[in-house]
Amino acid sequence: MGLFEHLASRQLIVVTGKGGVGKTVITAVIGSLLADLGRRVLLLEVDPRESLHQVFDVPPSGGEIVRITAPVQDRDGAAPWSLSLQNLQPRQVIEALVRQHLHIELLTRRVMASPVFQHFIEGAPGLKELAVLSEAERVVRPRGKGRSAHAAFDVVVLDAPATGHGVSLLAAPHLVAEVIERGPIGAQARALTALVADPQRTGIVVVTRAEEMPAHETLELREALEEQVGRTPELLVVNALYPPFPTAAIEGSPDDRFLIDLWRRRREGNERELAQLATAWQGSRLELPMLPADRGLRLLAALRHEMLAQLDQAA
Amino acid sequence: MNLRSDDHSLVVVVGAGGVGKTTLAASLGLMSARYGRDTLVMTFDPSLRLMDALGVGEHARDREVTVAAGTQGHLAASLLDAKQTFDRLVRRYAPDEAAANRILTNRFYEHLAANLAGILEYMAVERLFEVAAEGRYDRVVLDTPPTRHALDFLGAPSRIVGFLDSGALKLALRQWFDEKGRLKPAAHLGVLGRGVEGFLDRMVGMDLLREMAEFFQAFGPLFAGFRERAENVQALLKSPKTTFALVTAPGEERVPETLFFARHLVEGGYHLGPLVVNMVHPRASADLLARPDFGDGAHLLSWLGERDDRGVAAFRRLLERGQTLVDVPLLAQEPTDLPSLEALGRLVTDQLEGAPA
Repeated sequence: MGLFEHLASRQLIVVTGKGGVGKTVITAVIGSLLADLGRRVLLLEVDPRESLHQVFDVPPSGGEIVRITAPVQDRDGAAPWSLSLQNLQPRQVIEALVRQHLHIELLTRRVMASPVFQHFIEGAPGLKELAVLSEAERVVRPRGKGRSAHAAFDVVVLDAPATGHGVSLLAAPHLVAEVIERGPIGAQARALTALVADPQRTGIVVVTRAEEMPAHETLELREALEEQVGRTPELLVVNALYPPFPTAAIEGSPDDRFLIDLWRRRREGNERELAQLATAWQGSRLELPMLPADRGLRLLAALRHEMLAQLDQAA
Repeated sequence: MNLRSDDHSLVVVVGAGGVGKTTLAASLGLMSARYGRDTLVMTFDPSLRLMDALGVGEHARDREVTVAAGTQGHLAASLLDAKQTFDRLVRRYAPDEAAANRILTNRFYEHLAANLAGILEYMAVERLFEVAAEGRYDRVVLDTPPTRHALDFLGAPSRIVGFLDSGALKLALRQWFDEKGRLKPAAHLGVLGRGVEGFLDRMVGMDLLREMAEFFQAFGPLFAGFRERAENVQALLKSPKTTFALVTAPGEERVPETLFFARHLVEGGYHLGPLVVNMVHPRASADLLARPDFGDGAHLLSWLGERDDRGVAAFRRLLERGQTLVDVPLLAQEPTDLPSLEALGRLVTDQLEGAPA
């Protein structure tokens, strides 16, 4: 469990990877495993169309923080995991920031209603990304003084946008800090640049599948992160592997010929890409099987089980 | 959509990330050329193997390269590059070289050109317009950038034009800066104006606003061209000569999002072509499950077949009247050469040609 305890000490864990590889489910699995360790976890989703709730079989949250506790049948450990999730709209964060700095309601409304402001927050490079990271940082920042200082959460696990956009998210603070040197936004951008650059505080997890395009993008993503953010991801999760093909030559009924060929060759493809990733990816790696369950608590429980088994093995 | 006919001169392949848009776009382009139409496939970052399959590498970046496919129609492929397209547009529409250089070296532009949200989508549309205006192809098959949601492709161009639009930002900045980018005295702005100015200075600093003012000042003469083309491209995308092929993966969790997008397209006045449900696992026979030597794998595969069956059925149930559904089986491996791309293309066109028009 060494690797996970290592991740558990972070304030922010960013989960990224190519579209369609299972980032959202893996975000939930990681969050629930951190909750097992007693961390107070907030799962943040930034996609305007919610899907994180599907993993927990709960209705969409509509932007509110929702608290979720493990259902009775999944309480495998001594203490059942419990965590919070939220679908975050960057606009809300930006508007709250404006409100906080303007104080006067009339001015606030005037600024927000102006087309300049609207176009600016829609189009300005890095601003929305900065807002998301600001919110993540805000909820793990201790409030109060001395021994009574207390943060709302210990760790935020962020279901980040797909590859290219994921890099943009992590690179945004630096980008904004370069353009905006002054004022609270400049200061915030500098603080977040430091947060993202610090491997003690921010962990990066990349999710992929052992297929040509996702694997290729994963290695590109790693390079882009090193180049633009100066960071190496902590963990690679290779998701949805086809099951090993039986070693004995098998012949099913003629009806299944296509399917059996598909299984054999998809698995061969998986193994080829796994071998390539094993050489090219320095660092921790977990491999998860494709499982016969729709997105929901049953899949979550099965993946938790798989991940724990591998972490035990690695330890 | 019928690639044999001249009905559609533009096929836009849309869908969420990871559903196989790029490979499908390439295979549809190949079939179109096979049917004797001069065809261009425009794509973003295809896999190395797909680039090999088409025989186009980095040298196709921002240029059209002929694919030696031995087809009756000419087949060309091009990789889109947002920054280069943007730079070229600035050069073309700036009144003179000095004006172009003022924009291209502006610090704000440098950040903007590479990082503006939706820039890839916007430049795809720009590039599309250039190609359409040249009229060298009977058909263009446009792959769209990998967004999490298909909707992003349609929204991005208007977002960017909104951001660049002189009407809003230039006029707003003109309150504070004169023609040379000098800060104007704030006396005429009134209490609220001064409040807003003070706020912006505290929030982002006047230096940034000055650079932005310079940028929008320099960009001013280009706006008319940008807006006009944005309108033309909208018209092109909504033309009956354009069809959208909407690609999705078969999982049931994809249904609401995909149908939401389909409805949005139709309501927006776009012409929705086939819904392509891609990567469908075939059904297993009862025999497969009964074989002990297949282990857990047989259980998983038969579950995947059932899951995808459920998904395809859900799509079919919810399809509007007159819409065509094409289901494409998951292939044992991704197409790696022209024959396998063509085989994939045929799986699609056979169903399209069998479907009622």
